Amino acid sequence: MGGLLIILSIILIFVVLVQIGRINEIAVGLRGKEQAQRQANNRNAVMGLVFMVAFLIFVIVSFFAFKDRMLGFGPHESASHHGGLIDGIFLTTLIITGIVFFITHILLFWYSYKYRGQKGRVAKYIPHDNRLELIWMVVPAIVMTFLVIGGLSVWNESMADVPDDMKHGLNEGEFLEIEATGFQFGWLLRYPGATDFKLGTRDFRNIKAGYNETGQVWTDEKNHDDFLADTLYLPKDHKIRIRIIGRDVLHNFYLPHFRVKMDAVPGMPTYFVFTPTKTTEEYRESLSGYPEWQAMADPSDPENKFKKWETFEYELACAELCGDGHFSMQKIVRVVEMDEFKKWYNSKKSFYSTEVNPPKETEVLSRETSLEEGHGGEEGTHTGEGHGEGSHNVEGHSTEESHSGDHTNGTHTSGGTTTHTEGTHTEETHSGGTHNAGKADGKEGTNAGKATTTEEGENKGKKGKIIKKIFNKGKKEKTGDH
Amino acid sequence: MANVDIHAHEEVHAHDHHEDHDHHGDKYQSNFITTYIFSQDHKMIAKQFLITGIFWAFIGAAMSIVFRLQLGFPEESMAWLKPILGKWIVLNDAGMGTLDPEFYYALVTMHGTILVFFVLTAGLSGTFSNLLIPLQIGARDMASPFLNMLSYWFFFLAGAIMFSSLFLSTGPFAGGWTAYPPLSALPQAMSGSGAGMTLFGVSLIFFVVSVLLGGMNYITTVLNLRTKGMTMWRMPLTIWAFLVTAILGLLSFPVLVSGILLLIFDRSMGTSFYLSEIFIQGSALDRVGGSPILFQHLFWFLGHPEVYIIIVPAFGLVSEVMSVHARKPIFGYKAMVYSILAIAFLSFIVWAHHMFMAGVNPFISNIFVLFTLIIAVPSAVKVFNWIGTLYGANIRFNTAMLFSIGFVSMFISGGLTGIFLGNSAIDIPLHDTYFVVAHFHIVMGIAAFFGMFCGIYHWFPLMFARYMNETLGKIHFWGTLIGAYAIFWPMHYIGMAGVPRRYYTFANFEAFNTFAPINMFISTAAIIVFGLQILFIINFFYSIFKGKVRTEKNPYGANTLEWTAPVHAGHGNWPGAIPHVHRWAYDYGKDGIEFIPQTVPLKEGEKDMGAH
Amino acid sequence: MNVAIEQENKQGIHPHKFALWLGIASMVMMFAALTSAYLVRRSAGNWLEFKVPDIFFVSTVVLLISSMTLHSSYLAYKKGKEVPYKGLLLVTFALGFAFLVLQYQGWLTLYAMDIQLNTNPSASFLYVIFGLHALHIIGGISALIFAMIKAFKLKFKVTEKRKVSLEMVLIFWHFLDILWIYLLLFIIFQ
Repeated sequence: MGGLLIILSIILIFVVLVQIGRINEIAVGLRGKEQAQRQANNRNAVMGLVFMVAFLIFVIVSFFAFKDRMLGFGPHESASHHGGLIDGIFLTTLIITGIVFFITHILLFWYSYKYRGQKGRVAKYIPHDNRLELIWMVVPAIVMTFLVIGGLSVWNESMADVPDDMKHGLNEGEFLEIEATGFQFGWLLRYPGATDFKLGTRDFRNIKAGYNETGQVWTDEKNHDDFLADTLYLPKDHKIRIRIIGRDVLHNFYLPHFRVKMDAVPGMPTYFVFTPTKTTEEYRESLSGYPEWQAMADPSDPENKFKKWETFEYELACAELCGDGHFSMQKIVRVVEMDEFKKWYNSKKSFYSTEVNPPKETEVLSRETSLEEGHGGEEGTHTGEGHGEGSHNVEGHSTEESHSGDHTNGTHTSGGTTTHTEGTHTEETHSGGTHNAGKADGKEGTNAGKATTTEEGENKGKKGKIIKKIFNKGKKEKTGDH
Repeated sequence: MANVDIHAHEEVHAHDHHEDHDHHGDKYQSNFITTYIFSQDHKMIAKQFLITGIFWAFIGAAMSIVFRLQLGFPEESMAWLKPILGKWIVLNDAGMGTLDPEFYYALVTMHGTILVFFVLTAGLSGTFSNLLIPLQIGARDMASPFLNMLSYWFFFLAGAIMFSSLFLSTGPFAGGWTAYPPLSALPQAMSGSGAGMTLFGVSLIFFVVSVLLGGMNYITTVLNLRTKGMTMWRMPLTIWAFLVTAILGLLSFPVLVSGILLLIFDRSMGTSFYLSEIFIQGSALDRVGGSPILFQHLFWFLGHPEVYIIIVPAFGLVSEVMSVHARKPIFGYKAMVYSILAIAFLSFIVWAHHMFMAGVNPFISNIFVLFTLIIAVPSAVKVFNWIGTLYGANIRFNTAMLFSIGFVSMFISGGLTGIFLGNSAIDIPLHDTYFVVAHFHIVMGIAAFFGMFCGIYHWFPLMFARYMNETLGKIHFWGTLIGAYAIFWPMHYIGMAGVPRRYYTFANFEAFNTFAPINMFISTAAIIVFGLQILFIINFFYSIFKGKVRTEKNPYGANTLEWTAPVHAGHGNWPGAIPHVHRWAYDYGKDGIEFIPQTVPLKEGEKDMGAH
Repeated sequence: MNVAIEQENKQGIHPHKFALWLGIASMVMMFAALTSAYLVRRSAGNWLEFKVPDIFFVSTVVLLISSMTLHSSYLAYKKGKEVPYKGLLLVTFALGFAFLVLQYQGWLTLYAMDIQLNTNPSASFLYVIFGLHALHIIGGISALIFAMIKAFKLKFKVTEKRKVSLEMVLIFWHFLDILWIYLLLFIIFQ
């Protein structure tokens, strides 16, 4: 009934409008074409001015009304170093385009008004003015040049990968690499263990839902200490490299507050390097000064005494349409001081150590020691040395060389070798397999170079037994061409 | 009268080798089928494109209302839509209806696909290129009326296929109009990636055929069939615009076909052009070595020129209408021509600015930033020239003129935000957020539409020998101007706050879930603006039958050739000889004369503005 | 279709022929996109190299000859020689058909070599590119069929209109030939 009424009223409105239209046309006809046109000119030209004023005021007022909610303004100063640079060039562009916006709109509507058709007016015959053309071609070109140069310098700095000689670790001057895998519909966050701070190899054929979600290849010892986390913990003021990959379709790793964004592509790892500069606590402090953040965090829950700013968390979102759950891939991100981070890090146990191959006493101790000393120590446990050049083979390339992300159309090369893997992320690709390059450390099967051996193990679905078996056998099988 | 034309036509009618029809008076005789359905007359074909375009615009806009209802009023029940949308509205126990997210994405995808391709490409350039090219350059019809007819019917076919995909039980394609694989390549990734995607791909291939056939015709006609005296530099800007648009389409659409072809192979024949290392629905797929980025390159190689294919005709229409109603030459005619050429050329080398965050080598992105921001220069030149046209004018404010002024406002607003997005560093926070949505809607959804409205209101009397209702037209204009800004301006803020696009709901994120009031505002505005477009459609169809009759050949006092043909021009356009041209199209107010049609010879010593 | 006297035909080229060249330009763009994709993919590794079966060279020769026969047919038509005109058209048609058959044989050979559509991207591209070309050959053959119908059904007369018509078939056929040679050489030299 209500619906019918609504429909009828809508129809009525249209009918009324049409009648107004028809009546008006008749009235115009009676008034005389020229006079009617002049009236229309006046009316519409004035409306144009009114619109212009209202519009420009609306633009200014709405901007200031929303300013404090926009990234880069108010409390939302960038939580990363490069993000601040981005905010800077954004503001510059905003000011320049804002000026152009205002001037052109004022001229547009002012001239429309001033030169509205009037009795006795004759238009000026000005077909062109080459000098003006030159001016208004050169000036924008110069302005654009500045924007390009400014923007590209920020771009190149933001997108740069870690230097080839930078080490993995939590010490100053080192970087922490974390892997984020986007899948339908969530994120897997894999941290390298404190033993070496390097991520182990993965192979998509190893993936076992609910068991080995990222497809870690257990014959690569670097995997043994890796652990998955539910929250993206990050240490403040330390360089982070996120290695990003898609597991099924395209996703996008997006940290709004840090101005971090990069597509997660199946088959081609990408990266983003940034340094968080504000802990969650510090960000909360900046928010506390703003009125909208004083509201209760959860008004529906009387027990919850927290205000919004007190419960603020950084978030990770997906920014590339990936299916029906695209909007639900949320994870919390927390930035803490380095000590607190190390404590958290220490408390994490790797999947391998707890499930696949629980360690003996000695191994646990050595791992803890390495963390305190703060380096990706190769306390003799794993083939640290073997990875001198060209390791970090997670995607089959050396970290020290081209970091995965720069795939212009999929060229993953570490120096030109066609390494776009037979689809596996394993290192079998490198012609000659840089790892181990003969650094036999006596452990069979550690060469991780031929990690493919594990597939059979994994695929059989039995846990520790098979893996140990293959591990010890040291079988070096190379997967054939796929 | 008409017979004279037809016979004259017969003799010289050359036919292309694909057809074997005979020479005819037949196809132009009025039997209903050859007049209205399989017409080969460019004027009728123009109307076919227009009306089909309006149909699709209604569908596409209606879809946006449905998904804006979800975004603006997420707590409200949508159960009332169940009779229409069936299983796509999910009822909970309390009878509250929610829109199935899969269908939300299907609507968003179809909305984009329909409006970009069917409305703003076919409906805009198809209509006006067909209507105006022969009439404005002084030709009897297109170079190949038969191919022209085919061009429309391939468009119709493409539309029919896409339409049928809406009714599939698995749903239409839902992976975004950009159709990125692997999402679009794997039926198990999303329901719409099944049969819906197949139909989507087939529909688009037929659509491309339509565009190519049309484009071949437009280019050939403009270059080969101009009347005596119509040199390139005397052509109206509309013709330059349509010519350049057709060239853009000819060179860029085939690349889309390649992209879709490879996608079809990946979907159905087990190849791995775009797929690699995928684990989905519990199993690892046997596809390795492909790259999703390859598709993006192939897609955007079309995709970027496509948006210029959309806006360049609007440039032409607006320039023409503005000049006629300002009673003044378009300011800087040659600069306008060169800027269109520059924009068209540059449009081929900027495509990867859609891919800054795709994992492309950042070094390459530098080049694309450079060229993208260079495009801003000719675009700025055009805006200044339009404003220059208004300076010192004697403006006649009718609906068409209003839309042309509104167009400039929209193009400024939308174009300026392009400068943010084209600068890759700034794109890092803004990519795939509502800021992008705001940008492209303002330039395509509003500006290009304003160009289209401008053209429809202005040339309606030419098409239907009647006028549209001016009052309703002005209500349409002012309402849409204000309403459209109300819809899309706030989206800039949402985007700057970091809210991603293509989100069914913002509720899952603390960072994004505070925008409920803005969403409600936007959706409300959208409903009102949609209502205004319905008003336009009512005005349009009503006026075809009951509009004020056009009695004079040249009601606006315009200079171009289409106004020298009879009010009810038959096939062949001019009874008797085609007029010859002696001057450019913009002698308004020259030497104190209000307007001097192109057919009027130059006086002794008079400067020829159309000389190059 | 436009009264000649009133037109100032700017190009001197027949409009329909011009339109055909535009169509050819668009087809070139499509194949260019595919060959670019091929190059890009190849540089990414995991690329199986294999020898293109000899039969494709045979088909190339066949296509070349067919171009020559069609050209001769056209010349004969211009000179008013009815019999060679018709006869050579038939020969061209047969050769065109033979080309398709040989292409098919080529694919069967590849298949037997275990180089199938999904074996490796290099194979996938080859099948797709050659297949798309073959599709266009079918289009060319259709045009030839129209030309043959005209040749045999209509009374033989050398008119400007028919000459242009035949010329267009010829241009398209030559295009397909040249395109094929480019594609074959491209694949071989990669």
